[in-house]
Amino acid sequence: MPVIEVDQLVKTYGGTNVVDGISFAVDEGEIFGIVGPNGAGKTTTVESVEGLRRPDGGTIRVLGLDPQRDRYELTQRLGAQLQESRFQDRIRVREALELYASFYAEPADWRELIGRLGLEGKADAKYADLSGGQKQRLSVALALIGSPEIAILDELTTGLDPAARRSTWETIEEIRAGGVTVVLVTHFMEEAERLCDRIMVVNRGQVVALDTPAGLVAQIGSEQRLTFRPSEPLADSVLTSLPEVTDVQHKGQHLVVTGTGNVVHAVTSVLAGHGVIAEELRVDQRTLEDAYLELTNGDETEMEDR
Amino acid sequence: MATMQLVRTEGKVFVRDPVGLFFGLVFPALLVIALGFFFPGFDEPASELNGLRYVDVYSNVAIALGIATLGLVTLPPILGQYRQFGILRRLRTTPVSPARLLLAQLVVHAVVAVLSAILAVTAAVVLFDVTVPEQPLWFLVSFVLAVASVFAIGLLVGARVRSPNAGVGFGMGIYFPLLFMAGLWVPRSVMPDGLLTVSNLTPLGSGVQALEDSWFGTGPEAMHLVIMLVWAVAIGFLAVRLFRWE
Repeated sequence: MPVIEVDQLVKTYGGTNVVDGISFAVDEGEIFGIVGPNGAGKTTTVESVEGLRRPDGGTIRVLGLDPQRDRYELTQRLGAQLQESRFQDRIRVREALELYASFYAEPADWRELIGRLGLEGKADAKYADLSGGQKQRLSVALALIGSPEIAILDELTTGLDPAARRSTWETIEEIRAGGVTVVLVTHFMEEAERLCDRIMVVNRGQVVALDTPAGLVAQIGSEQRLTFRPSEPLADSVLTSLPEVTDVQHKGQHLVVTGTGNVVHAVTSVLAGHGVIAEELRVDQRTLEDAYLELTNGDETEMEDR
Repeated sequence: MATMQLVRTEGKVFVRDPVGLFFGLVFPALLVIALGFFFPGFDEPASELNGLRYVDVYSNVAIALGIATLGLVTLPPILGQYRQFGILRRLRTTPVSPARLLLAQLVVHAVVAVLSAILAVTAAVVLFDVTVPEQPLWFLVSFVLAVASVFAIGLLVGARVRSPNAGVGFGMGIYFPLLFMAGLWVPRSVMPDGLLTVSNLTPLGSGVQALEDSWFGTGPEAMHLVIMLVWAVAIGFLAVRLFRWE
C-alpha cells in the first residue's frame, strides 16, 4: 500500500517548470531513492511532499493527508532532514533532542536514538564541536525524534568521508528495519544501489526512469565488456563472427570486446579453440552509474538545486 | 510545553554568548557606576537638568541603552542566523510553528532587559542615593512600552536579514541614532528645541522622558506613551507582515 502518492506534480519558478509533471508512489516500508543532476527538481519534489512548498499543479497525498491542508497532522507523522540546514553553534546535542522531542505527541526516547546513531558519548557536546558525520547523524536523530512513519532524508551523506558515509548507510538500514518508510535524495549512485529498493531518476523536472537498481541497469541493456591481451595474434573476424559479440576494438596490445548474452563464455571458448590464452582478462558489467549517466544524458547542470 | 522548552533552550543558548550577556545585561549598570564615580559633579544637582543630578538622568539613559542593545544588536543577528542556518525552515517541518521560536526569543530578550534594568536601578539607588522610582506603576508601563517599541524595530530588521552580519549591520545603523536621540551623548534637557522635537518622536527619546517623569516626577506625559505605542504597533505589524521564513 502506498504511503506517498504524487500525481502530476508541477512547480514553477520564474516561468520555468522546475518540476514538470512528476508522478510516483512510495510503498510502506521501502527505501525509495530519488536521484538526478543538480537542478533536476529532486529537492523541490520532496519539499512539496513535506509541505514546505505549495505545488502549482498536481496532487500529493502522504499517509492519505494533503501536505498543505493537513500540515499539522502530517508533521506529527513525517520526519524530515533538510539539505543544508544546521543548528545553533552553542546548543548541546541533548538540548536539541529534548527540544525537538517536546514538539511531538509521541516522541521517541532520545537516549536510545543517539545510541543507535553512535552519538551516545556526545550528548553534552555543543553543536559546533561535532564532526560533519556527527552533525548529520544528529540531523537524522532529529528527523526521527517524533517516531515518524516516514522519514525524508535529503543529501544526507554529502560532505561526509567514506567511513562516515558507510556508517550512515547502516543507520538508514536500521531505520527501515524499525518499520519506517525512507525517502532518500542522493547523487551518489553507490549509495542508491546499496540502500534503495527502488530508484526514481529525475532529469529536468521529469521522471526518466523508476525501477529497482537491477531493473535500471537492465533497461540500458545487459551489455558486458571483456578486456584482455591475447597470447597469440588473433584475427578480429574470429570474434566478430560470434553472434554474441557486438564490437571489437584494439587498445595497444589489448582487445576490448563488447557483447550481450553469454558473451564471456562464447569468447573464451572460441579463444580456447584457437589455442589463444586471454591474459589480464577483465570483465566489466554495466553499473547503476552507467545507467544513470545514460538516462540523464550525462546532464550535470550547474543550476542551483532548489 | 513546547513553548516553555523553546524559551528554556533559547535562554541557555543566549546565556552562553558572553558578548551579548555582557553588553545586554551588565553594561548599563556599569555605565551608571563608571559615570557616577569618574565624572566630576555627576552626583550634584545641575540647573540645566532642572535640579536633577546627571546620575539621575543617566540612570534612565542606561536603561534605554540596555533595551537598545538587546533589541537592535543581539536580536537581529540571531534571527538572521536562524534564517541562514535553515532553522526556521526546519521548524516548519515539525508540529511547532517557527513563530513560536520568535516568541521564545522575544521572551528571552525581554527577561534579560528586565534584569538589566533592575541591575541599573539597583546600582543607582544603592551607590548614588538615587530615589527609588516614585511612580513605580508608570515606570513599569513606560519600560514595557520602550521595550515593545525598540524590539518591534529589531524584529523588523530580523524579519528581513539573510545573515547574522546583515543583522548586526542594519541593527547598528539604527542603534546609534536612537541612542543619540535618547540623550546618551547630549542629555535631552540640554537639547535645542528642534532636536528635542525629533527626539520626542523616537521610541527611546520618548522612552527616556517617560521613565524619568515616572522615576522623579508625577508620571509620564500621554504623548510620550502614545509615541512609543505607535512605534510598537506599527513597526510590529510591519515586521509580522514582512517576515521571511526562508
